[in-house]
Amino acid sequence: MAKVSVLNVAVLENPSPFHSPFRFEISFECSEALADDLEWKIIYVGSAESEEFDQILDSVLVGPVPAGRHMFVFQADAPNPSLIPETDAVGVTVVLITCTYHGQEFIRVGYYVNNEYLNPELRENPPMKPDFSQLQRNILASNPRVTRFHINWDNNTDRLEAIENQDPSLGCGLPLSCTPIKGLGLPGCIPGLLPENSMDCI
Amino acid sequence: MDHLRPPIFSVDIHPDGTKFATGGQGQDSGKVVIWNMSPVLQEDDEKDENIPKMLCQMDNHLACVNCVRWSNSGMYLASGGDDKLIMVWKRATYIGPSTVFGSSGKLANVEQWRCVSILRNHSGDVMDVAWSPHDAWLASCSVDNTVVIWNAVKFPEILATLRGHSGLVKGLTWDPVGKYIASQADDRSLKVWRTLDWQLETSITKPFDECGGTTHVLRLSWSPDGHYLVSAHAMNNSGPTAQIIEREGWKTNMDFVGHRKAVTVVVSSQGTEGDGLQDSLTCLKRPLVVIHELFDKSIMDISWTLNGLGILVCSMDGSVAFLDFSQDELGDPLSEEEKSRIHQSTYGKSLAIMTEAQLSTAVIENPEMLKYQRRQQQQQLDQKSASTRETGSATSVAGVVNGESLEDIRKNLLKKQVETRTADGRRRITPLCIAQLDTGDFSTAFFNSIPLSGSLAGTMLSSHSSPQLLPLDSSTPNSFGASKPCTEPVVAASARPAGDSVNKDSMNATSTPAALSPSVLTTPSKIEPMKAFDSRFTERSKATPGAPALTSVTPTAMERLKEQNLVKELRPRDLLESSSDSDEKVPLTKPSSLSKRKLELEVETVEKKKKGRPRKDSRLMPVSLSVQSPATLTAEKEAMCLSAPALALKLPIPGPQRAFTLQVSSDPSMYIEVENEVTVVGGVKLSRLKCNREGKEWETVLTSRILTAAGSCDVVCVACEKRMLSVFSTCGRRLLSPILLPSPISTLHCTGSYVMALTAAATLSVWDVHRQVVVVKEESLHSILAGSDMTVSQILLTQHGIPVMNLSDGKAYCFNPSLSTWNLVSDKQDSLAQCADFRSSLPSQDAMLCSGPLAIIQGRTSNSGRQAARLFSVPHVVQQETTLAYLENQVAAALTLQSSHEYRHWLLLYARYLVNEGFEYRLREICKDLLGPVHYSTGSQWESTVVGLRKRELLKELLPVIGQNLRFQRLFTECQEQLDILRDK
Repeated sequence: MAKVSVLNVAVLENPSPFHSPFRFEISFECSEALADDLEWKIIYVGSAESEEFDQILDSVLVGPVPAGRHMFVFQADAPNPSLIPETDAVGVTVVLITCTYHGQEFIRVGYYVNNEYLNPELRENPPMKPDFSQLQRNILASNPRVTRFHINWDNNTDRLEAIENQDPSLGCGLPLSCTPIKGLGLPGCIPGLLPENSMDCI
Repeated sequence: MDHLRPPIFSVDIHPDGTKFATGGQGQDSGKVVIWNMSPVLQEDDEKDENIPKMLCQMDNHLACVNCVRWSNSGMYLASGGDDKLIMVWKRATYIGPSTVFGSSGKLANVEQWRCVSILRNHSGDVMDVAWSPHDAWLASCSVDNTVVIWNAVKFPEILATLRGHSGLVKGLTWDPVGKYIASQADDRSLKVWRTLDWQLETSITKPFDECGGTTHVLRLSWSPDGHYLVSAHAMNNSGPTAQIIEREGWKTNMDFVGHRKAVTVVVSSQGTEGDGLQDSLTCLKRPLVVIHELFDKSIMDISWTLNGLGILVCSMDGSVAFLDFSQDELGDPLSEEEKSRIHQSTYGKSLAIMTEAQLSTAVIENPEMLKYQRRQQQQQLDQKSASTRETGSATSVAGVVNGESLEDIRKNLLKKQVETRTADGRRRITPLCIAQLDTGDFSTAFFNSIPLSGSLAGTMLSSHSSPQLLPLDSSTPNSFGASKPCTEPVVAASARPAGDSVNKDSMNATSTPAALSPSVLTTPSKIEPMKAFDSRFTERSKATPGAPALTSVTPTAMERLKEQNLVKELRPRDLLESSSDSDEKVPLTKPSSLSKRKLELEVETVEKKKKGRPRKDSRLMPVSLSVQSPATLTAEKEAMCLSAPALALKLPIPGPQRAFTLQVSSDPSMYIEVENEVTVVGGVKLSRLKCNREGKEWETVLTSRILTAAGSCDVVCVACEKRMLSVFSTCGRRLLSPILLPSPISTLHCTGSYVMALTAAATLSVWDVHRQVVVVKEESLHSILAGSDMTVSQILLTQHGIPVMNLSDGKAYCFNPSLSTWNLVSDKQDSLAQCADFRSSLPSQDAMLCSGPLAIIQGRTSNSGRQAARLFSVPHVVQQETTLAYLENQVAAALTLQSSHEYRHWLLLYARYLVNEGFEYRLREICKDLLGPVHYSTGSQWESTVVGLRKRELLKELLPVIGQNLRFQRLFTECQEQLDILRDK
């Protein structure tokens, strides 16, 4: 079972100018003391087109983690504008917070981020070269997209494999969807998630 | 109840009838769901939206959940699944409803059930779990062909592993009086085991001979009156039946027929008078009720309601059905009292006692045993009530940690949180602990990682009591619009004019509906076209350099782990020069080369005040290691690498220095300063020895140059040139006229009133200067150093004056003065330690925490043994033997080191292991030795104490341990009685 579950991520200082640092207050619960640190990362997706433009804004070790509820603030500098394709500077992108244990990612929290000019003039006629100093970053804090992955929390590495590779028919007559990779987090797959959110907005 | 479309494998109604649990396949994991019963029972409640249907869902199981079972008390829920785990759940009482972060609000958990124990032992899918009557044990069976009996009072202790089935074990049931447990497996047998000694009572195969094919589960059941055992999946005349097995002689004369396909589940109802089996289930010979076409797929589990008139049935097709019967259909159910009366009349009076003692298996022969068992229970109750009281008071102080509200903490969190850099320069944040886990069952909970000093666990707990936590969970107050109303108009204002403009593209945040809502970004229209990002949310990205982190994180973490432990002592202390003479450059280079060569000689020179690292053990083990001036290290390193054939061992000699300082201990702060040839009086150069102890200073002069010094709380000693050794009291009074050593000093060391001198000729002497006796007289190190290319890497003198030499090959020898022998007390390459697994015998709270010389010598013992079992699949018998051998080594080593604390620790551990594994002879021998002759005889050689501990006191400590295994109740009684006789004398 997952030893660590994220209880909440609060987006601090939002919205804020493009150049100001990201701040997330993360609270999580740990069911058993962890032998090693957790590693948290903030990844800024520069362009929807390719992972190439992903920027790891920062990564930080968090520990020691005894059993209990914990919180910390994860602050990371704003992305480097020069690494963002000009066409993607304004508009919606994504920021990801990931956490890994022993190098295995077990949770990914994604937020939509909207970068737009505050100045209506600029908004109507955006400059050819994006003016980052005028951009405001707005994180869609109310709608985090959380994907959890099963990982091996114990030290010896071959155990998870054993679980994942076991013959599903042996256990329960139908295929186990043990590997949580693609598709699970897609809107349609989280029952009620999307309608729920649209309800919020009306 | 069709919420879970994936199959539901198990259903169980809570003993109080208000809720029930289901277990099955979740989306990407196993799933346990706790449901409210009332919407099932009453249609009105079902329609009432205010009454929650689902109370809690737990998706912690990694794979499909095969079985959920409530404990008889209703306090715990056990679940077992394909992930080989059994999880025991307990309700966390004072956390309000919460949502799962990132999921929609409707999935809120009304009740919080928390996993309090994870039981790992099975090597295959867990198929069934069962609580014994009175909840003393929990049994689990698995496709690994075994049944494991867990101590439900002390998870995760394993009481027994029942081996004997040659096929997947798929069902379990306890005899209602707890005398037997029955298991049924794919090997076409049903086995009944005695709970008295966990041995096989009988194995029934005949009814199953004809069985072909397998079923997913084989849930058998005992009738509530205990007379009959009903098995699943038997065959009679080629027709599937449910076989009835009589308790008397395990006869198999009756069966239930009527099924067209294999019977998988049998659950006896609350029982009707006289014939508890008639309404067993679904289709019988003369079935009471025949129900079919209810489900699309096979039935997996059945649970009776409290009144015995309803059943919940779950099926592979992912639904649960509730069947309500009328009294006429089934007959009158038995009440609890009636049931108990039947038990009593059938199985005798003893039951009442057993019920109380939570021991349903054996007649307790000794009132003391009973008393002890009761006391234990009482203690548990007390603990429980204490913890509830604590939690009660905690909630009243809601949301305040050390006078700070959670809000305050959050405001200052960034400033307050401790951020450090790891060795490789990475940021490391120490998270602020806002709450301990609240179940009270977590022994690890007393851990405070926060800078809020001195806060009690109780107040810590309060911080997340529901009112405070709710906003944290359900909303993000600091996100825009909520906590910052001022920004809201800005957003809205900026949105509105833009809204008038043409929507250039759908990605633009300024569509018309958006203008209506205060927060522009929450509009679905904005999210919908974001499909491009979808994969980013859900896929582990390759760009995330997770893999390299693995290598970089682990070593640092390991180091940290070490740091936290007693191994702290072993770290080479920083070198620091107090004098500023020509030697200054030396210490700069030495530490690195020192560690490189793994020469762990601890150099403890001046470190006037090392902030933030109080060495707690410095008093216990004052100066655990040899003390040398840096200059000698070079010499030592080379000289110590003595090759074997060397006729005479030659140890390095410290060279003369102008001045040096030595810290003896930090608490109380004590250090020694030496200045050689400071003054010249009448042509004679004098050296000064200064000692500072908690601010009080004394000094004295010596006529020859001081080579090395050592001190403890009781004595200070210095070795000078011309092989002279002088000893002073803590106040600077000379205790002995100078001792002439047989050869120049190599290392000098003090602990308590013991002084140890290791000379260059590799002889070792230890004196007790207070009692003025020799402990070790010029003992040669030849025997331990000879024969191979070894060096002494660490020297230690225990408080009892036992010298210990740690050698470079990982072995450690101590000198036993009474036997005049060098005894091996530790070996880093000890394969026994690597295979031993005694974790189940560890007392839960102080797990491995036992400090003392043995712990220092051996360093932190890992639980590698457990892993060894998994990694190399060591057979149990082999591991048992190695564990025994290892534990015996430890007991003996602690005894040799005369470390009473550790001796007690290991002895108790050893005894517990013997008890758990049922080694009677050794246990008896220990008890005999500890007890000694009850009737005093002059010829007795028996010593009443061992390493300063009274043996009979030790035995008294042992008794409760022995009492845990009923097999040893005779032994328990014997010892108890004899101790009583002794006490009365």
